[in-house]
Amino acid sequence: MGDLHLRLNQTQRVRLEAALHELQALAPAAAAVTFADNIPVNPEDTILKGHGTSDQDGEVVATVCGVVERVQNLVCVRTLRARYKPQKGDIIIGRVSEIASKRWRLETNFSQGAVLMLSSMNLPDGIQAEVCHIQHDGSLDLQPRSQKYGKLQRGQLLTVPAYLVKRRKQHFHHLEQYDADLILGCNGFVWVGEHAVVDEETNSNEDQHKLSMEVEAFTPLETRRHICRLANAVRVLSALGFTLTVELIIQTAEAGLSSDVEINNMLGAEFYVQTAEREAKRRADLSRRMNGPR
Amino acid sequence: LISGDLNLDSTLPSKLPPPPVFRSSAAPPPQGSPASRRARDDTMVGLSEGEKHFIRGGIAQDLRADGRRRLQFRALTVETGIIPQANGSARVRMGATEVIASVKAELGKPTILHPDKGKVSIYVDCSPTAAPMFEGRGSEELSAELSVGLQRCLLGGKSGAGAAIDLSSLIVVEGKACWDLYIDGLVVSSDGNLLDALAAAIKVALSDTGIPKVNVSLNNETDGEPEVDISDEEFLQFDTSGVPVIITLTKVGKHYIVDATSEEESQMSSAVSVSVNSHGQICGLTKRGGAGLDPSVIFDMISVAKNVSQRFYTLLESAFAAAEAVADE
Repeated sequence: MGDLHLRLNQTQRVRLEAALHELQALAPAAAAVTFADNIPVNPEDTILKGHGTSDQDGEVVATVCGVVERVQNLVCVRTLRARYKPQKGDIIIGRVSEIASKRWRLETNFSQGAVLMLSSMNLPDGIQAEVCHIQHDGSLDLQPRSQKYGKLQRGQLLTVPAYLVKRRKQHFHHLEQYDADLILGCNGFVWVGEHAVVDEETNSNEDQHKLSMEVEAFTPLETRRHICRLANAVRVLSALGFTLTVELIIQTAEAGLSSDVEINNMLGAEFYVQTAEREAKRRADLSRRMNGPR
Repeated sequence: LISGDLNLDSTLPSKLPPPPVFRSSAAPPPQGSPASRRARDDTMVGLSEGEKHFIRGGIAQDLRADGRRRLQFRALTVETGIIPQANGSARVRMGATEVIASVKAELGKPTILHPDKGKVSIYVDCSPTAAPMFEGRGSEELSAELSVGLQRCLLGGKSGAGAAIDLSSLIVVEGKACWDLYIDGLVVSSDGNLLDALAAAIKVALSDTGIPKVNVSLNNETDGEPEVDISDEEFLQFDTSGVPVIITLTKVGKHYIVDATSEEESQMSSAVSVSVNSHGQICGLTKRGGAGLDPSVIFDMISVAKNVSQRFYTLLESAFAAAEAVADE
């Protein structure tokens, strides 16, 4: 909770602590370690030591802060505050940091730049994001797979810790009720923007021309309200350290809307506390339903 | 998203990461600090055209990216007494911007020209933790700009006349001993609106400052040099009611905003920093940015800044009161 610099009054502090405590109680017993902590292992098993672990006098010791993960014999520590670790097939969002004649270099919150070959782009078209294709000598090659991928227009980019975005089937979300697009990049970049129509038959030149003509035509105010609401929902959730899913983001945005919280006040202390309480309640209900029938 | 627009627009020399191949073809940025400042801001943020458009649109429609209106501030939090070695210190957070100010008082000798006045110096440093480009000498330009801005607003003329801090209250023995105040600002994390945050932090740090009480005994044996005995227990509070706050109005498109984030600052055409004291009087005025402003717009901005400053004072006071309450617990 180090990120939360809120001015809470006494009751708010108590409520937030209670909610966080409840959440902790509900969380599956994930073993959090700091560095130099022992990781308990069964000495009879053969243990493979993975990332973030080290052998110290016959005991397995964590070398980073994080959560212990075990896959069969492999024990490793997944850090929370680390840079993004790419996997093949991830959908990510990047920011162009360098333009060369044949390729673009993208900043993707990975320890190295990612490379997007221009030969693989259908230039320039509607929307967003690329697929991480090959990892090869540590650098990242990206490939936009279809017309769906490409340049993002009209919206805002938020950065959250990468571990808050889980790999899912669906990363592109068109929220029809808001006329907005929400893209959760696996690298922790989240895009909230005006919905862009993907036209398979995009005539690139005409499109480009149209854009420059439209410069003064801004996003409609109603859509912008929704975009800002969604963006603030993402900000609140990531500051509280909740995994970002579309459902949760919409729910949080709706909660702000229904309780008549002004968009700006969604970043205020009261809304943080309410969000934490709501999430605690939701998870409590969920676990009760899971355990209930028994 | 891909921010690269391949059409080279030579009217915008401050295009974000200028690819080396193109650099020769782009017009060299005009000399002078405002233009180079904008160029640096742009590289710092590196927004794509779509985002820039979105930000400009948001400001035009009075709904900014984080849901604020044009004249709304970000959440403000204050902590006092964070540096035990200093006589007074404060940390101010405005959104993701975080600055620290410390006040250190040392006994010194007044200058011959002004034997009845103490000395105050203000310096600002930008920590490399705020942004990678502050590493090494990278922060010098910005630090100097911020220091000068604060000195102008708080220190008055060379003689010390017209300073926000009453320099004659710093005198211990006229012509012999005075307090030297060293005010240091540190930018810990930078997300725009640094000048306002620093001025607020300095104001709070000065309110937090206690200057030790001194007992002076004139001794003939030491050639009339006064012997000064500094008390460890008794402190004198400082009168900070005259210390102004700074309100920066950043002009983007046709409108101006307060408390701009660094994304918004990258879109600015000019920025006017107005320092206003608690009586609503204007203490200083600085303009940045190469684009010109109509005089009537400046008058308009000043009156807006004056109104906004009263709201900012209320915000700052309630934040300060909360900080004091926490410190007392």
